[in-house]
Amino acid sequence: MVTEKLTDKKTIGITSANERVLTDLVVAGHFGSEIEAAKFAMAQAIEAGTERGTSEGAGTKWNVGSLDPDGALKAVVEALYPEEKLPYRLVEHLMNEGLRLCDKGDALPPDVAGMVISLAKEE
Amino acid sequence: MLRIKTIHMKNFGAFKGDQSFDLPDEEGVSIFYGENMRGKTTLLNAFRFALIGKIIGRGRRQVSFHDMINWEARSEGERSFEVRIDLMHAGAEYRLTRTCKPKKGTPDPAVHDDYVTEYFLERGGHILSPQQAELELERILPEQISRFFLFDGELLQEYEDLMHSESDIGRKISSAIERILGLPTLTKSRDSLKAALDRAEANVALAAQGDQKTREYGNQLQSLVDERDILTKDLFRQESELDELRGRKAAIEDDMRRRERMGALFDKRDRLNEEIDALKQHVDERIEEVKIAMNSAWSAVIRTRLKAAVDEHRKRENELQSLVNRAQILRELADGDEQSCPTCLQTVTEEAQEIIRAQLPTGDEKASSEAQRELASVRRRLDALDEQLAKANPEALRQIWRSLETRKLEIYAKQGEIEEIERQLSSDAEDELRGLRREYDSVFRQITALETGVAETGEKLEENANYRDKIQKSLDKLAGGETDLAIKRRDYTSRVHALFAASVDTYREQLRHRVEADASRFFQQLTTEPEYAGLRINDSYGLTIVHRDGSDIPVRSAGAEHVVALSLVAALQNNAQLRGPIVVDSPFGRLDGGHRANIVETLPDMADQVIVLVYEEELPPARAREALKGRLRAEWTLERQSARHTELVKQ
Repeated sequence: MVTEKLTDKKTIGITSANERVLTDLVVAGHFGSEIEAAKFAMAQAIEAGTERGTSEGAGTKWNVGSLDPDGALKAVVEALYPEEKLPYRLVEHLMNEGLRLCDKGDALPPDVAGMVISLAKEE
Repeated sequence: MLRIKTIHMKNFGAFKGDQSFDLPDEEGVSIFYGENMRGKTTLLNAFRFALIGKIIGRGRRQVSFHDMINWEARSEGERSFEVRIDLMHAGAEYRLTRTCKPKKGTPDPAVHDDYVTEYFLERGGHILSPQQAELELERILPEQISRFFLFDGELLQEYEDLMHSESDIGRKISSAIERILGLPTLTKSRDSLKAALDRAEANVALAAQGDQKTREYGNQLQSLVDERDILTKDLFRQESELDELRGRKAAIEDDMRRRERMGALFDKRDRLNEEIDALKQHVDERIEEVKIAMNSAWSAVIRTRLKAAVDEHRKRENELQSLVNRAQILRELADGDEQSCPTCLQTVTEEAQEIIRAQLPTGDEKASSEAQRELASVRRRLDALDEQLAKANPEALRQIWRSLETRKLEIYAKQGEIEEIERQLSSDAEDELRGLRREYDSVFRQITALETGVAETGEKLEENANYRDKIQKSLDKLAGGETDLAIKRRDYTSRVHALFAASVDTYREQLRHRVEADASRFFQQLTTEPEYAGLRINDSYGLTIVHRDGSDIPVRSAGAEHVVALSLVAALQNNAQLRGPIVVDSPFGRLDGGHRANIVETLPDMADQVIVLVYEEELPPARAREALKGRLRAEWTLERQSARHTELVKQ
């Protein structure tokens, strides 16, 4: 039986495999920073119905204070995943999963235009 | 009547090594089938090279001799090519051999100018001297009229364009047409008679000078005749220069027509580049907007989920708020802090307080504070959700990206067009085109100056003729003896000259009517439009389609141009003094099935010997056999051996 870790993360990391995708995503999506691109990737994962989980092998990239200075990210994740007790761990997982979803391989950049243009329209 | 009997090629284009074929002696059609790039145009060029020493590619561009040596043979060390044809003309047998080889002292030729061509002509097995050979060739098939015997069907429509224009090429073609039809025989006679008339007038002057009574007139007439000779010589010189310049202008016009498309391509490329620059600026502006919009893109992606979460949290907030409110009121009533019920406003008695206290759950304090904590937590999340929802605008994001992508796609499309254009343009084509335009302007100015000179000389000649006429009349009254005889000779020559001059116009008119009638007949055979009644010819042999109600059809499609031009070629063949074979590459151009069928059926009527170069899809062999029946004399296939080697195979 796997026991949930009781303390939330103070830093968020990206796996080495996802670092390249993140770099490509920043360029392809004209993001102002890697953080904005990572949040976009996280949103993709949420929208794809990614379930709770943890990411193994993610290093240390951002302090949660700089990633989520107003706590909005944490609040949103808590709202969307009410049973989650360690929101930043989940944020890390969602960001890495999102980047994995954005990966089109070495040859192609992530299709940000496609993802944005196909966003669900308001009813 | 010129007939080709055999053609032999050696390392000519795709035809590697020695390859030859005999054409049937009987009248009819011979067909060569070959897919694209197998050498159909090369085969047409083999005839052209042998007969006039030229090789013309698509777009009427002269092909470099260097490129015409079979590539495989060249890589094996071959440096020359040769075409030999056996002909029959006016009962005599000819063999024409033309060779292209490197110039002396050019061991490693690389460009067109490194080569030289030589030919020799045999008649009845005897080699003719170079001068004789040149005269015979000029008689058998002059270069100027070769375009009506050897032609690329895809270029046919140009002839009609040219003949309707006032261009120098148009004049050249009209003159070539008259040459085919035999008009020069008459015009040369007329010109010889003019020379005889001039001599007769000079003799009148000479005779008058020998007589005391007429000497003064004789002297004046002699001086006018001398002046006329000088002016005439001057006029010839000017006209000859003008002719040469017009020839040059025609060649430049021809070149420019060919490059007109290239000029248009340059203009299009420049315009596309300007459009791309403007689009790139738009893209840069859109990217700035995108950068700002992407800060909150993550919220837009999950907007639907955010909204659902807000609804759930709002519901929970209400539940918790009710719970907290109820607990607080009950506590206040139980503790007696509140004297009256907040709902019914009745006073709460001691007994009622007891009942309320009994109803209060145990541990209520703790439950209430938990509800309050949860309520605070729900509100915190609600605030965050509301804030993100306010930022999330997927529609705006979608529009900005769509606009950005649309412009990027436009740029890619235009860049693709530019690449395609640049593939069609050679690197130095732009400079060549500019040089050509400059040369055209210069030749045009020279022609204008010379035309003025010719007009002035003509006026002086007319003035001279008027003076001479006056003196002649005075002489006629005084003349006698030798002068009288000379005058009679002059008058006789004058009448004969006038007769021939008039006959040129009459014959030209008759020819035009005959060509018009024959072209109309062929046109009716070829066209699929039943309302077209025929063709009307103009002074320069341009043809206009006539509707059956008698009106002209003013605008013609490319297909109609093609059919009209084919009708003209057939009519010229029918009326030509110099009759010969027709060798035609792609005779159908862009014509539809109905026209194609008509052309196939008409081909045998166009000339005694017709050689057609087609690909099978254009004219399936079964259809050709069915349409031509016994008039199909031979079929060959151009078979691929390799990309640079084609073999002729008889079917």
